[in-house]
Amino acid sequence: MNPFRVAVAVAIKDLRSEWRTRELVPALAQFIVLALLIANFGFQIDARDAPQIVPGVLWLALVFAGLVAFGRTFSAEREQASLEAMMLTPASPIAIFAGKAVAATALLILCEAVLVPALSLFFGTALDPGVVFAVLLATVGMAALGCLFAALVARVRARELLLPLLTLPLWIPFIIAGGQAVQAALGLPGNYDEAVGLLIDFDILFVVLTSLAARYVLDE
Amino acid sequence: MNRYRTWAALAVALMLGAGAAIYYAPTDYLQGVVQKIFYLHVSSAIAAYGCFAVVLVGSLVYLRNESAAADRFARSGAVVGVVFTTITLVMGSLWAKPIWGSFWTWDARLTSTLVLWIIYAGYLLVRRMADPGRQAARLAAVVGIFGFIDVPIVHFSVTWWRTQHPRPVVVNDALPPQMLATFLFTLACTLVLAAVLIGIRYRIETLLDARLRAIEPAPIVSAAPEAEPTA
Repeated sequence: MNPFRVAVAVAIKDLRSEWRTRELVPALAQFIVLALLIANFGFQIDARDAPQIVPGVLWLALVFAGLVAFGRTFSAEREQASLEAMMLTPASPIAIFAGKAVAATALLILCEAVLVPALSLFFGTALDPGVVFAVLLATVGMAALGCLFAALVARVRARELLLPLLTLPLWIPFIIAGGQAVQAALGLPGNYDEAVGLLIDFDILFVVLTSLAARYVLDE
Repeated sequence: MNRYRTWAALAVALMLGAGAAIYYAPTDYLQGVVQKIFYLHVSSAIAAYGCFAVVLVGSLVYLRNESAAADRFARSGAVVGVVFTTITLVMGSLWAKPIWGSFWTWDARLTSTLVLWIIYAGYLLVRRMADPGRQAARLAAVVGIFGFIDVPIVHFSVTWWRTQHPRPVVVNDALPPQMLATFLFTLACTLVLAAVLIGIRYRIETLLDARLRAIEPAPIVSAAPEAEPTA
């Protein structure tokens, strides 16, 4: 079986099931708007200090929305025991994992399409293409790691507790580089090109590593 | 007196010796007595790295051939490593307060050490929350490997800006000979202590595994077919 076609088929299956239920993306979009509301009450944000605070709000909202999104990717499969059914087919586990990761990434990008414009709408920061690019780059690597650990904890009892605990520390490289890139794009001191280069390095590294590890995660 | 007690007694004696050496080591001209934290702070940091290397090797071997012993070594290394990282962080904070003026700064070295602590504390929580068995061991092995990879990344990605923590002094030949001798002796003692602790923890993990097997019902190898009910 062609692994690319398997991956595409799994990704389309996940997106179709999300399209039919329309549960995750609206819930996450609402979650993101609520996070911005809380940020508004927690900080005193006005036009002067917005560039200092907005990058932090962006990453906090994105990280927690990501945790919810990746936690969901495998929980539906577990409830229906459909992952076992997929593993029974001759498709390679890595291709199945890649398909699920691609679908989760697409859903998270949809949420970012809410988050980034909402930030500039509510807090008046510029809708800079540099910000969008950095966020998208970080999403790739974060999705690879997030899906790997979501698959790992899917069969553990306390998975809602474990997923953030395991994923957040490993996401820190992306927050470091992505945070610097967004700060630089919003006019704070920092080297944008260097941070984006670092993001690309981390993406390559973690996509390769997670595809190596995927064999041990899904292969049961 | 079993051999574990012998080894433990040896390690404690060595640590007392290290304490005496630190006491008699020359006092730093600028920092005074506080500088003596250096010996234990750096030694336990190196011991922690060693423990996490044990976790890494144990996890890799476990994923390769599912050896229960490798998994137990990984578990033991994580416990001891977290203890030594805690010691490093606490002693570093105590040293930072009089010298830098605050217990904590978001410095590259401090941040990456804190991330190290969080990752391996998470590793221990995984072991506690997941039901023991193959699934938990695999999960933990992946965490152990990714955790070890993450730390140099965090370290180097922050090291390009904002550093307050001093650069390594031992390899740069910046220590006077008595201080260097004291440090090397303390380091050797701490490494022995770490190895002994891992050994003892390994024994405990073996016993825990054995108890788990005793509680679990024995697997049914071949069940005799039941007699057909007669009408």
